[in-house]
Amino acid sequence: MKKAGEVTTTKTISRRSILKGGAAIVGATAITGFPTVWAQGLKDITLNHTGMSYSTLADIARQASQDLGFKVEMSVVDHPGLLNRLVNDPSSIDIADMEIWQSKVAVPQGVLQGVDIARIKNWGELTPLFTDGVFAGKEVSRQGDSPFEFIYRDSKDATSFATGKTDWANFCPGVYNADTLGIRPDLTGREITSWADLISSDFKGKTAIQNIPTIGIMDAMMAMEAAGEVTYGDKGNPTQDEISQTIARLIELKKAGHFRALWNTFDESVNLMAAGEVVIQSMWSPAVTAVRTQGINCVYQPLKEGYRGWGNGLGMLSHLDGLKLDAAYEYLNWYNSGWVGGFIAKQGYYSANPESAKAALTENERGFFYEGKAATADITSPTGEKTNSIGEVRDGGSYEERFANVAVWNNLMDEAEFLYAKWNEFNAA
Amino acid sequence: MLKKTGLITYLQVTPLTVVLVLFFVIPVALVVVVSFFRYKMLVGLVPDFTFQNYADLLSNPTTWSLYVSTIKFTLIVLLVTFVLGFWISYFLVFHVRNLLTAIGLFLLCTVPFWTSTIIRMISWRPVLGREGLINSGLQGAGIVDQPFDWLLFSDFSVVVAYVHLFTLFMIVPIFNSMARIDKSLLEAAVDAGATRWGVVWNVVLPLSKTGIALGALFVVTLVMGDFFVVTVMSGGLSGSATSGIFNDLQFLNYPRAAASAVILLIVVLVIAASIFRLVDVRKELVR
Amino acid sequence: MSASPSYGSRPWTFYVLATLFTLFVIFLYGPMIAVLILSFQGPSASLVFPLRDPSFMWFDELFNPRRTGDVVGAFNRSLPLAILVMFLTVLISVTAGFAFRRRFKGATAIFYTAIASLIVPGLVLSIGTLVTFRYLGMSANWYTSALGAHLSWALPFGLLIMFAVLGRLNPSYEEAAFDLGATKWQIVKEVVVPIVFPGMIAVALFGFTLSYDEFPRSWLTVGTKNTLPLEIWTMTTNVTSPALYALGAVTTFVSFIVIAVALASIILIQRKRFRGK
Repeated sequence: MKKAGEVTTTKTISRRSILKGGAAIVGATAITGFPTVWAQGLKDITLNHTGMSYSTLADIARQASQDLGFKVEMSVVDHPGLLNRLVNDPSSIDIADMEIWQSKVAVPQGVLQGVDIARIKNWGELTPLFTDGVFAGKEVSRQGDSPFEFIYRDSKDATSFATGKTDWANFCPGVYNADTLGIRPDLTGREITSWADLISSDFKGKTAIQNIPTIGIMDAMMAMEAAGEVTYGDKGNPTQDEISQTIARLIELKKAGHFRALWNTFDESVNLMAAGEVVIQSMWSPAVTAVRTQGINCVYQPLKEGYRGWGNGLGMLSHLDGLKLDAAYEYLNWYNSGWVGGFIAKQGYYSANPESAKAALTENERGFFYEGKAATADITSPTGEKTNSIGEVRDGGSYEERFANVAVWNNLMDEAEFLYAKWNEFNAA
Repeated sequence: MLKKTGLITYLQVTPLTVVLVLFFVIPVALVVVVSFFRYKMLVGLVPDFTFQNYADLLSNPTTWSLYVSTIKFTLIVLLVTFVLGFWISYFLVFHVRNLLTAIGLFLLCTVPFWTSTIIRMISWRPVLGREGLINSGLQGAGIVDQPFDWLLFSDFSVVVAYVHLFTLFMIVPIFNSMARIDKSLLEAAVDAGATRWGVVWNVVLPLSKTGIALGALFVVTLVMGDFFVVTVMSGGLSGSATSGIFNDLQFLNYPRAAASAVILLIVVLVIAASIFRLVDVRKELVR
Repeated sequence: MSASPSYGSRPWTFYVLATLFTLFVIFLYGPMIAVLILSFQGPSASLVFPLRDPSFMWFDELFNPRRTGDVVGAFNRSLPLAILVMFLTVLISVTAGFAFRRRFKGATAIFYTAIASLIVPGLVLSIGTLVTFRYLGMSANWYTSALGAHLSWALPFGLLIMFAVLGRLNPSYEEAAFDLGATKWQIVKEVVVPIVFPGMIAVALFGFTLSYDEFPRSWLTVGTKNTLPLEIWTMTTNVTSPALYALGAVTTFVSFIVIAVALASIILIQRKRFRGK
């Protein structure tokens, strides 16, 4: 840690000397000289955005480079890869596209610098879901790691989370969504209305849940609570007893052959569903879209107990300074200014600046993705394949419906160490 | 002269030693140290000297059942790859008369090896899946009504993938060992009235034991250290001795992951040492 | 069969083993053929049968990526890395192999260190290497940390294969050559290399593929940009398209060309030698 501090100091000094040089040029040439020098310097910057595959998309880097005049490049990693690289090799990353719960690990390690909210011009337009912890006038669920609880810090170099609103953010809001179960309505043979259906004996051997312990346990808890088998004090932060009970029941189900598979990657969930190996399972929104592009009817089914929400944030690494820091702020401002929002809507996600995202969509797309209206023309994926026909309404409900009904957020629970040991038992059983 | 030879020997082994020290000894020493630390949620590593991580792992029945399952896979895969590796090498060395043909056929076996492991694992899905080639073939031919579910996401598919991925690691050393057997030995044995089976049992098998031992070591190492193939091919329904490591790394629980790694290292080193006790691979070198 | 009359007719075991070999090749290539067919999948992007609206679009996607990973960029890092690992593995494990022909102090320690290096779980070594680099004040990169991590795994393989190979090299050959007045260099060139060469090819093959396809040891050691196995892995964490199959098909195709060229050049060299004599 000390070492990193030293490096930063030397870098600051050298930056100052560069700036001094720049000032000298300004003095010597015209008054317009400085911005030119600034823009010239910015042009040579390469900003690295590292995150998981679902949000770290090459198209975004391409558009950003074009709009901003400096180079933005994407590095895709898996979840543990991001955390491990953030902590042990922070200088290999400039902007970290983290899930909220990952910031919970990264911030105490001191690898992120605070985002000066005054420099994010569109902060006031961002959804209160992140900035105030309310949505549609209602406080959003605090079960699990809700974005509001982790977005603020007290100062630029703080290594803990602030309890209320401050002028410094740990991250700039990124993409987010509310997840539910994916089903094959042609194969389930009946209506699916509750999370309890995930563990219903009707679908024995035809279900799957995700093998990512922190998220898999959420889906399991939602199902068991809905089925009235286990009650939880706080699904976002279960006790050891609650975890043990849940895993014991999962093991029982596994031994009875209830699960066709536990999927590890997005792609496995798509294949399980598309091949008909599974008819009801944990799923992510773009996976449902991917099944639909294959011409197979797959529905992201809203359930009466509500959704499992998740969100991402873009964090700035501590080593950023000088022009590169300026570039990072430019990028964060650009990220929530419309284009990304429009692009990722078609991917199934939402932008933290919904108004600008809506402006970037056609009226048909706006109605379909955000307002819960029936499509007035075919809806296509970002790559141009048709995903929905005229007249169809987006599954999973409208933007308002979704986020007003988030029951629990993806999280890293206090008992994570215990959970991982227990989940390993489930894997081994 | 003798002194000079000694110096050359040390010079010859220096590059290997340097690489091993830099990229194995130092990193692993760190790992061993960390395995005695504690992990605290949201804080990370807490320096300590405790055997708690080891005690937790060793007293947990899950660790034992995962080792049992991994060792079961190891033995099955070892048997299958040995039988395949031995007879394929035997075929290439003693039955294919043209050396060039033998090399060509050998290389034919290596081509799939150059395609990514991940792609080769995924590629079993359209073959073994519920609507895959084998199931639709069987159903199409009217042999079965219901597709076989045990073909994919099962212990069976894990073994299939292991054999597919690792047989080459058995073939290469056995092939190299067998290739150096003087063919006139075999003729002499046959002339002396040995049966075909007797030649294999009394001449070929003992003379290729170095290759067999090395192949066995490769396969044991690969299967015991694997978490990836078993997770993907079992559809997450089976774990391996090291699958806990990947889970622990997801939230930076290095101490427990390090302790698991050290345990695995010790277990497999013991297996390796017993293989070398049966077949001293270095003995044949030193004359 | 009549081409080689001196051996007489083939024994029945030939046919049994030839069948076994053929079945093994079918087993090896079976899924590859599925991959080959499905790489022509149409825009429906299904990874399983049936093949719908055959097209070349996934090959195009591979070289002009829109959404799928940067396969070409990752390949441009993986190939030089694998070639570097290949050369270093041959060089280092062949020389070390010769050292092990003599007894020397520390031989057992080095040998078991090499074995342990082969065994240690790759993910953990990946983290250990990254942390070591952090203490050295260096950032991970494919040509530093990843190169080292790959060598720590390819070298033991190379060394052990050299053990299988060098047993073939009877020191009496070298002694005989020495007695006949050959210089050290002549002995190496005329006696040692021809005997060891096929083994060196095997070591090279291992070095190349072990690096080219290594996931766990590359996981954290490659730095900002992914190598091919990591890129493929992250591709499977998103919408996986038949582009992966197209990659498999292209790889197999290129491998065949490389092998055909290698075999052809061996034949050519042999013929030249034959004519020369």
